[in-house]
Amino acid sequence: MENVTIIINGREVEAVKDQSVLDVARENGIHIPALCYHPEVTSSGGSCRVCLVEAHQGGKMRLVTSCNYPVRKGLEIKTDTDLVKRIRKGVLELLLSRVPDSGVIKDMALKDGITEPRFFTDEGEENRYKCISCGLCAAVCEEVVGVSAISMLNRSRDKAPGTPYHKPSTACIGCGACAYACPTEAISMRDKDDTRRIWGKQFTMIKCSVCGKPYIPDAQVDWIVKTIGKDRAFFDKCPDHR
Amino acid sequence: MESIRSFEQLEQYSQRLKASVNADLPTVMICFGTGCLANGSREVADAFTEEIKQQGLKVNVEIGLKTTGCHGYCENGPLVALRPSDILYLRVAPKDVPEIVEKSIKNNEVIERLVYTDVNTKEKIAQYQSIPFYKFQKRIALRNIGHIDPTSIDDYLLCDGYKGLSKALTMDSDAIITEVEASGLRGRGGGGFPTGTKWRSCKAVASDVRYVMCNGDEGDPGAFMDRSIMEGDPHSVLEGMIIGAYAVGAHMGYVYVRDEYPLAVKNLQAALQDARKAGFLGENILGSGFDFDIKISRGGGAFVCGESSALMRSLEGKVGEPRAKYIRSVEKGLYDKPSVLNNVETWNNVPVIILNGASWYAGFGTKGSKGTKVFSLVGKVNNTGLVEVPMGITIKELVEKIGGGVLGGKGFKAVQTGGPSGGCIPKKLSDLPIDFDSLTEVGSMMGSGGIIVMDEDTCMVDVAKYFIHFLVEESCGKCTPCRDGLPRMLSILTAITEGKGKEGDIEALKELCDVLSYGALCGLGTSAANPVLSTIKYFEDEYSAHIKDKKCPAGVCKKLITYRIDKEACTGCTLCVKKCPQDCIMGERKMAHIIDESQCIRCGVCKDVCNFNAVRIE
Repeated sequence: MENVTIIINGREVEAVKDQSVLDVARENGIHIPALCYHPEVTSSGGSCRVCLVEAHQGGKMRLVTSCNYPVRKGLEIKTDTDLVKRIRKGVLELLLSRVPDSGVIKDMALKDGITEPRFFTDEGEENRYKCISCGLCAAVCEEVVGVSAISMLNRSRDKAPGTPYHKPSTACIGCGACAYACPTEAISMRDKDDTRRIWGKQFTMIKCSVCGKPYIPDAQVDWIVKTIGKDRAFFDKCPDHR
Repeated sequence: MESIRSFEQLEQYSQRLKASVNADLPTVMICFGTGCLANGSREVADAFTEEIKQQGLKVNVEIGLKTTGCHGYCENGPLVALRPSDILYLRVAPKDVPEIVEKSIKNNEVIERLVYTDVNTKEKIAQYQSIPFYKFQKRIALRNIGHIDPTSIDDYLLCDGYKGLSKALTMDSDAIITEVEASGLRGRGGGGFPTGTKWRSCKAVASDVRYVMCNGDEGDPGAFMDRSIMEGDPHSVLEGMIIGAYAVGAHMGYVYVRDEYPLAVKNLQAALQDARKAGFLGENILGSGFDFDIKISRGGGAFVCGESSALMRSLEGKVGEPRAKYIRSVEKGLYDKPSVLNNVETWNNVPVIILNGASWYAGFGTKGSKGTKVFSLVGKVNNTGLVEVPMGITIKELVEKIGGGVLGGKGFKAVQTGGPSGGCIPKKLSDLPIDFDSLTEVGSMMGSGGIIVMDEDTCMVDVAKYFIHFLVEESCGKCTPCRDGLPRMLSILTAITEGKGKEGDIEALKELCDVLSYGALCGLGTSAANPVLSTIKYFEDEYSAHIKDKKCPAGVCKKLITYRIDKEACTGCTLCVKKCPQDCIMGERKMAHIIDESQCIRCGVCKDVCNFNAVRIE
């Protein structure tokens, strides 16, 4: 690991070579708004374009997404210039016109002074009314969970996460990692009694033998037992009572 | 052919080939490019075979009847060229064949009816090289196309094929890169990045594995230069790739071809097999100790896969989506290994640069853009097709000298260059030299080399709308500006062309353009603003006419025009009355006719059929 010093908004900060600018900024308490990036998911980032910053290097300036821009020696970052604000505002206006009902996007847009988008707004079915197609859910499902039950379907403005042929996926284990990771709370996951519904599929939840609370889908337990060989008895109790 | 294991053996084989060719033997060359095949060149070829057999002529069928790649003058196909007389016949039909054999092959007579007629001077021109469409071209990339049978490796060898490779393998790999750098060759796929620099950066990265790739995913509407090269001279691409691989130290290469190019795939596959058999691919190439092989990968038809990072993902078997290129592909490309990706035309130039030297190549073109470039010249111009000219030729020269001027004597308005995300350049800039930097400077780009000529009847708002519509469909949907910005631009443009434009639309469009060019993820997105920005820049008055006066000056946008019949000019012939599909033109014979505007669908048939120019667009 090679350490480098970079400048963010005039301040010198320490970083590791090839670390992302956003990670470095967060470590140093510098706020950059971001949606589609998750530090634990290598393939995440780069799609929502909210975390744009000015990168100055080798006498050249360009706007880059801080979530995947690698830190190298001599880099200077500016997060609050007029250009950054103007383009980010444009991006947020587009996101707001895509998902006018998303509270997360509304709040974020309001911070940049947008209350109403000037452009036509989208109407969507199922998850579409809040989904910004960032792909973090599909990345988590593939990279972290390892089942690839969902992926990004279609292209252009119809791009959206989904299961193959929109049918209940045989690969889905109902873990809900996609829903937890989603930056706009767009994925519908309903737990009722001892069942969970997600992506059009129903799962039976295993109850904790101590408190009786249903806490994990049986399919997820099967998957964990199968992939890492954990003892099934381990899942008799919820994390609170182990 | 035999397997060639050394430089000497290649030289001997070429000498033997040359000695076996009889240059005086009458040769009929029939274009088998996609355009001519569609026009029936296979039937023409069959007719020649039959006729030659019947007459028992001494025309060597093997070489004498040659099916070649594209001559580029596709709109006049099927094209038939004769040797040694150098006559070119256009639009040849099977019924013309006996006459051609009788008159032109046996007696060297020219059949006037089949030769090129200059639209402006009405002069008949029979010689291939004297036709203006060819006369002003300089063919380097297209050097062999139309003259050789693309499926014959011997034909390629007769045109100094694989001599560049043979020379390169005796050179130091650094010296090859230096030569390519000195030639000034820049990427022909549109980016214009210096090829030699790319190779050097790739070679400098420490790695045990490297790759070279060829981008044959030509997706711009109307562009077919790469297809013609892959179909008509596939070995030139392979030879370039082998040289490049040797220079950077790669042992595996891929050609990514779009699957909509079946003939290109077929001819490349045949060329690969022949090259392997001959010893130009595989282990220990020409006894040099260098191993290299190439595989063909067929694309699935997404425009975005022509973008380098999307292409590599697609090659890896993943969804063809671009990634951020903050770490360049020469460092981390295909399978995260250092990789060189060049376009078909770039690879095809490499063998002749090595063979003839960098200074020869740098002798063509301009200071910043060396060599020649192949363009597909289309639109409202008399001669359309594939042309290769030195960089730096002006727009005017290209349109007037090679293109023969604007179709139907109409006024020249603009050219659109660079494919769907290129820009429109107005008539007032027609002295602009066509090279990478000049085009970028005026808000357009070289792109892969599409040039669409537009006449005075073209509405520039409509043009912008057309290209944005294409890009809306082809956006991969990964990043916000492209996925959600383009449909909003389209909706504003559509409103403007329908008379629903409002104040502030131009400003909103410009703002969206900024979000795209600064904020989009890949080259497709960042350049997608060009069609709108360039038309606003040069034709803002046309936008204003649509928005404020609700008029389309070019008479294109249907919701903004009305057809009227000039009472003075109308002779009452009733032709328009008969042809109107809506039956909405009223009038008796010898009385001025009237159009019922409430029923009119503005199809323009009345205007097209009127012999007295009495139908006007208002």
